[in-house]
Amino acid sequence: MKVPFVHLGAQFHTLEKQLVQAFVQVGCSGEYIQGDTVKEFELALAHLCQCSQVVSVANGTDALILALKVLNIGVGDEVITAPNSFIASAGAIAAVGASIRFADVGQDYNLDIQQVHHAITEHTKAIIAVHLTGNPVDMDALTKLTRDRGIYIIEDASQAIDAAYKGRQVGSLGDLACFSLHPLKNLGLLGDAGFIATNNVELAQRLRCLRNHGLISRDEAIEWGVNSRLDAIQAAFGCIKIKYLKQWTARFQNIAGYFHNNLNDFVLCPLSRADDKPVYHNFVVQVHQREALRHQLLDAGVETKVHYPIPLHLMPAARDLPYALGSFPVTEQQSKHIMSLPIYPELSDSKVEYIVEQVLKKIKKLKVPRIQ
Amino acid sequence: MMTTNFYPQQYAQTNTYRINHNYLAEQFADYDMILTKIAQVIRRGDFTLGEAVNRLEQDFAQFNGGQFGIGVGSGTDALFLSLKALDIGAGDEVITTPFTFFATIGAIVTAGAKPVFVDIAADHNIDVSKIEAAITPKTKAMMPVHWAGVPCDMSPINTLAKVHGLAIIADACHAIGASYQQKRIAHWADISCFSMHPLKNLNVWGDGGLIVTNNPDIREQLTLMRNHGLVNREQCKMWAYNSRLDTIQAVVAQHLLDNKMSHINQQRLANAVWLDKALCEIPQITLPPRAANQQNVYHLYMARFEHRDDLQRFLQHKNIDAKIHYPIPMHLQPAALHLGHKTGDYPQAEMLAKSCLSLPIHEFVTGEELEYMVHCIREFYDS
Repeated sequence: MKVPFVHLGAQFHTLEKQLVQAFVQVGCSGEYIQGDTVKEFELALAHLCQCSQVVSVANGTDALILALKVLNIGVGDEVITAPNSFIASAGAIAAVGASIRFADVGQDYNLDIQQVHHAITEHTKAIIAVHLTGNPVDMDALTKLTRDRGIYIIEDASQAIDAAYKGRQVGSLGDLACFSLHPLKNLGLLGDAGFIATNNVELAQRLRCLRNHGLISRDEAIEWGVNSRLDAIQAAFGCIKIKYLKQWTARFQNIAGYFHNNLNDFVLCPLSRADDKPVYHNFVVQVHQREALRHQLLDAGVETKVHYPIPLHLMPAARDLPYALGSFPVTEQQSKHIMSLPIYPELSDSKVEYIVEQVLKKIKKLKVPRIQ
Repeated sequence: MMTTNFYPQQYAQTNTYRINHNYLAEQFADYDMILTKIAQVIRRGDFTLGEAVNRLEQDFAQFNGGQFGIGVGSGTDALFLSLKALDIGAGDEVITTPFTFFATIGAIVTAGAKPVFVDIAADHNIDVSKIEAAITPKTKAMMPVHWAGVPCDMSPINTLAKVHGLAIIADACHAIGASYQQKRIAHWADISCFSMHPLKNLNVWGDGGLIVTNNPDIREQLTLMRNHGLVNREQCKMWAYNSRLDTIQAVVAQHLLDNKMSHINQQRLANAVWLDKALCEIPQITLPPRAANQQNVYHLYMARFEHRDDLQRFLQHKNIDAKIHYPIPMHLQPAALHLGHKTGDYPQAEMLAKSCLSLPIHEFVTGEELEYMVHCIREFYDS
């Protein structure tokens, strides 16, 4: 049996008729930039995130960059984020000229609020709280820490659409929340796409201006902006796909539950708080002898990946930051053991069972002890 | 709530005016061919970059006289990334014209550099005789804009670049397929930035841009910068950006490049030649000079018209979508306050902003419609 890590074609196949219809509709309308389709999708996203405002942009990275810009964060400012995230969380900070600061993560792979506390200086302007794999950061603890310090919280919810923290939807938990709709995401479009959610009307207004050259009318720019718009055609796909998201989220959770029940005695499965709703963009386990195990699994047809093997502070790009090997021991330790199993709504029960069966078989064969 | 989303008006839909600037429905009438190609790409799971983007990059670069193409998110991103690739930022100055689209200046400012304006000449492009006076020790690059599809006078610009050690980043967003002295436009700059926005001569179904260069080092830098600085899946060499041309958009562009591009530019040229001949006889109209050694691709058919605002209203009333590109030059924008300019600083640009009007010129405008436009313009000036 073959279980690829992703299978984007499968979802397209299921929705092909509707998506092609959207193609033709938008194609013939000639309205390719902004317009009603984009507005309609933004409203659907706002409803999903329980936010009053959604500003769609070209991609998740741009969402982070624009969020920092709209908060006037730049040269001389520090922004704290997690060193185990995707590059964009740190890249966005560098892109606006601010200084990247990291705080180590906890056993749930998210920012350790105690460590964030230590990383705060008089220059700290914002925290980019990454809900890694779609598991929410402990936002109450983080908010308590930042509230009286005038530090903004930007949720990096790129992997966390439809997740909830203590009954509240991700996207409504900080000052601004940034999402990616990249094809590989739980709600993925057919190209790069992203959005920013907020309840702050003024910030949303300025973001709409910034994403579109700073224009306030066809002929006047109130500030120099950028071009970061969600294509109308992608919004049309989004309007179709978002209707399936709740059902997909349930399937992610269903598969994750099965993995957890059957694997947790043998490999370290992800931890989450009982009152949260993680969405398992990735299902990350920790194992000894990871590379040997991955190799054997691949031989059995099960493709796995590592998100991510090199922590951000150890990237060549981070050479000028005040960090070295040993700076973030939890992240570094985890980076050696983490392994992501295939998880997506189109994965059949038999394939899910096969993954579990093969993981258990290879673990026994290699005599790998469980990570505590 | 969403007061700044004004796009539907800007891209006035077909049927709003009989002779329209927006011709996308006609251009994509053969969408089933495009859809078949897109479906193939999607079934492969190719959504960002990949084979289709590689092929377009090569063909597009070649078509415009360059060796390497780099597909990016938009023409604006093309300009911004090009500045970044040359390490231009805080403390640096970039010379350009105030008669351009917002993106030219937005890209310079976003990169952290300062835009330094030089007034335009009669051809609506940067006045090369005035560039030298604007060069300072901080100047790092010139950003000539091939406005409306008219190539800038690139020979003297190249001489200036050599003498002063400046880079040339051309804003070629309007100028796909243009040429200067028998060489395609990308030959004449270190980096040329193109837009494939829906209203451009070669367009996609959303935002898209392409950078063309002959320099392999610049190409490598740009390839890294558009994709998070990644050298492979796991290693990030530099903090960078996400600005990729969507694969499905590359398919659309390739379809047009292979099947329609020559016709589009030829038909625009033919329409322009016809209009030139008819309009040059009307004393209230000043056409820009048409240089013999250039191939203008007429992204816009722009000229100076007396009583412009009244004429525009008159033509719109006659169902002709005459547009102003644009009424306020960049140095007088509210966004430019920090640069400290005032009315009178760039008189040629200011005069053009007050008198310019663009007539529909795309390949779907018929001979009959051209005659009708000229007839209406005559009617206006006769009354």
